[in-house]
Amino acid sequence: MSHEKKQMIGYACAYTPVPLIDAAGYSPYRILPLGDSPDRAGEMLHDNLCPHVKRVLDRALDNDLPELAGVVFVNCCDAMRRLADAWRKARPEHKVTLLDLPATDEEASILYFSEEINSLAGTLSEWRGTQVSPETIEKSIERFNGIADSLNTLKERLSRGVLEGGAAAMQDLFNTAATTASGDALSVLEKAVGEPESVSKNHATPVFLFGNVLANAEAFQLFEKSGAAIVGDDLCTGSRAFCRIEALEGEDVMMRLARGLLRRPKCARTFDPSLPGNLGDEILARAQACNAKGVICHTMKFCDPYNARLPRVRETLREAGIPMLALEGDCTMRSMGQQRTRIEAFIEMLG
Amino acid sequence: MIAMMLQYFENIVSGLEAKIKENPDGTNARKKYTLETVRLGQRLYSGTDKVAWCGVTVPYDVLAAMGVTSCFTEFIGATLANSGLVGSYLEESEHAGQAAETCGYHRAVIGAAMKGMMPTPEFMIASTCPCSGGVAVMENLARMMDRDLFVLHIPQEENEHSVRFLAGQLKEMTAFVSAHTGEALDEDKLREAMQYSNQTRDLLVEVYDLAKKVPSPANGRLMGNFGIVAALFLGTRAGVDVVQAYRDEFKETVERGASGVPDERLRLMWIQNRIQFKNPLVDMLEKEYKASIVIDELNDIEWGPINLDDPFTSLARRAISVSLNGSVSRRVNHLQELARDYKIDGAVNPCHWGCRQGTGSRGLVQAGLGEIGVPVANLEVDCVDSRNFAEGQLRTRLEAFVEMLETRASPLRQSA
Repeated sequence: MSHEKKQMIGYACAYTPVPLIDAAGYSPYRILPLGDSPDRAGEMLHDNLCPHVKRVLDRALDNDLPELAGVVFVNCCDAMRRLADAWRKARPEHKVTLLDLPATDEEASILYFSEEINSLAGTLSEWRGTQVSPETIEKSIERFNGIADSLNTLKERLSRGVLEGGAAAMQDLFNTAATTASGDALSVLEKAVGEPESVSKNHATPVFLFGNVLANAEAFQLFEKSGAAIVGDDLCTGSRAFCRIEALEGEDVMMRLARGLLRRPKCARTFDPSLPGNLGDEILARAQACNAKGVICHTMKFCDPYNARLPRVRETLREAGIPMLALEGDCTMRSMGQQRTRIEAFIEMLG
Repeated sequence: MIAMMLQYFENIVSGLEAKIKENPDGTNARKKYTLETVRLGQRLYSGTDKVAWCGVTVPYDVLAAMGVTSCFTEFIGATLANSGLVGSYLEESEHAGQAAETCGYHRAVIGAAMKGMMPTPEFMIASTCPCSGGVAVMENLARMMDRDLFVLHIPQEENEHSVRFLAGQLKEMTAFVSAHTGEALDEDKLREAMQYSNQTRDLLVEVYDLAKKVPSPANGRLMGNFGIVAALFLGTRAGVDVVQAYRDEFKETVERGASGVPDERLRLMWIQNRIQFKNPLVDMLEKEYKASIVIDELNDIEWGPINLDDPFTSLARRAISVSLNGSVSRRVNHLQELARDYKIDGAVNPCHWGCRQGTGSRGLVQAGLGEIGVPVANLEVDCVDSRNFAEGQLRTRLEAFVEMLETRASPLRQSA
């Protein structure tokens, strides 16, 4: 491991162009909603707001963060926009910027997003005092593609039940990739890829897991102890955070980043207006592709983008004969523990 | 259901028309505003107009120029709440899985669509401002009604590329509308609509300037929902007439030395949404405490006149300028400016339950107004869902608030 010593830039959303932050000479650090910071964010925001956002702000209020040179927020939802506002008050010493994110992924939106990313490149260059070049960004994208490839290899092992440590270990690797300098993260992941496969545990019930934030590895242990095998996921603290960013011929690097981010598997807040209500079909296709017998949805309480779309997702899965268990979380294991009986009953029912 | 709603609007229209006819020179501004609002409802449910359901910050003047009767869906939530019928629609959406802690406007709209209460439009246009919940509802409705959806992404900040992007989207929107109505955009009609919008804008500026007078000709009833609904009338002669009636009435009130609340003692600002169902709070403030709501946050003009030679750029700037868009610091600056201009004593923030962008700003708005010496009463209300309305608690909270205001000298009044 190279033990890179770079200043860190915090971020909190899977749509953040982390290769750009990396290319600007910083180490992107995802501020995961973990830890035991006391609940204080509600006072500054409102209790009726996304627990992810509140937990991330709680970490800032509690100084439960490494030293950050700045924070890049993304305008992905109302709550995240408010987090950017609150952060400026909570941590006035931090440089803060908000990247606008289109709600849809048509060409015009990709072009606009590329201009936003270009502006972010200017901001990061100003913060750092050195200009970030397109070549450096291309190199960073390739490094993050390497991270995505390694994670995909490990996910494939998990889906076959041969990843040592199971889903909890997989989540630990996602968390490492999100919070560690890219070179170091790549070394850790390559080492994990180089380790031998464990003995197959494919007697568990295959389940597809989707939603927004679930970073606590203990939660994955709970699923497995309940008899589930997580054979696929669509979480913003999981596989959605690390997708390959491909290059189209003749396309500049900002467009490449914009297209790669907007066209990756969608969080509920991004959609194709020509196919309204399509999230359910996408979840169904992915659940079927990994031969899942059931689907677990884990979302944050007060998450409007998911709350509004879940009834349709449930209906689509029901029509296809795939049962769905909806869990609402608050970024603590307390809430997960309370749902243990429901999870066990669901897995038992799937047989 | 559609026929029932049409009948509801028709009855109100005929009643209001009769009242205005009885006394055409009386103080009729609010009646004219209400009449135009219910006429819009009548057209939406007529079955004859080309109808579009939209998001809040869609350019209604452009749609008017293209012969489309359009409205934001939240209008239906507010109408149902005002009529006292909203409970069953909220329950319908909750039974279908919509989370009870989401915005009451949006739950009501989904419930109304499920019960066949929403006329099927020609098409739908969503806007990302003011909230992500609103976009999700439009997506759901488009799926439920099997209608094409266009999404306007309203950028957070005004800069060269954001204005260019939104202006481009607005042009694309007109092509989308044409494709569904079969009629191309008529440049002359667009120009005429923009002229009406500019006239309405100038009159609104006059109305708001008059409302700043001490005592103010405004009051809680006259100005409730005014700015947000006036946006639906932009681009029309009727819109000009309604706002002109307000201007004339306010001017006359000021010239008489009268005020919207007789013997006005306290001046209040209402933040974001009004409570849409019937409730006694505003009356209580006005009658028992002579506390007048002289300004609503959403009753303001933050946009410049539309450039008739380049309307889409101006319209893009107008959409981005909405104070609920962008950062809280921008919104706080706007609220501070309103507080100073209207010389208010205090502010009331209902903190509409389920509104993440609004309630999420609560603490920062309170701190921002506190910086200039304006206390804020934060309530906990769902502005549409009357089932959870804790009248007694809210009354006590507001009584304590205004009694506190009465014991202190407002720094903004002193600077008058």
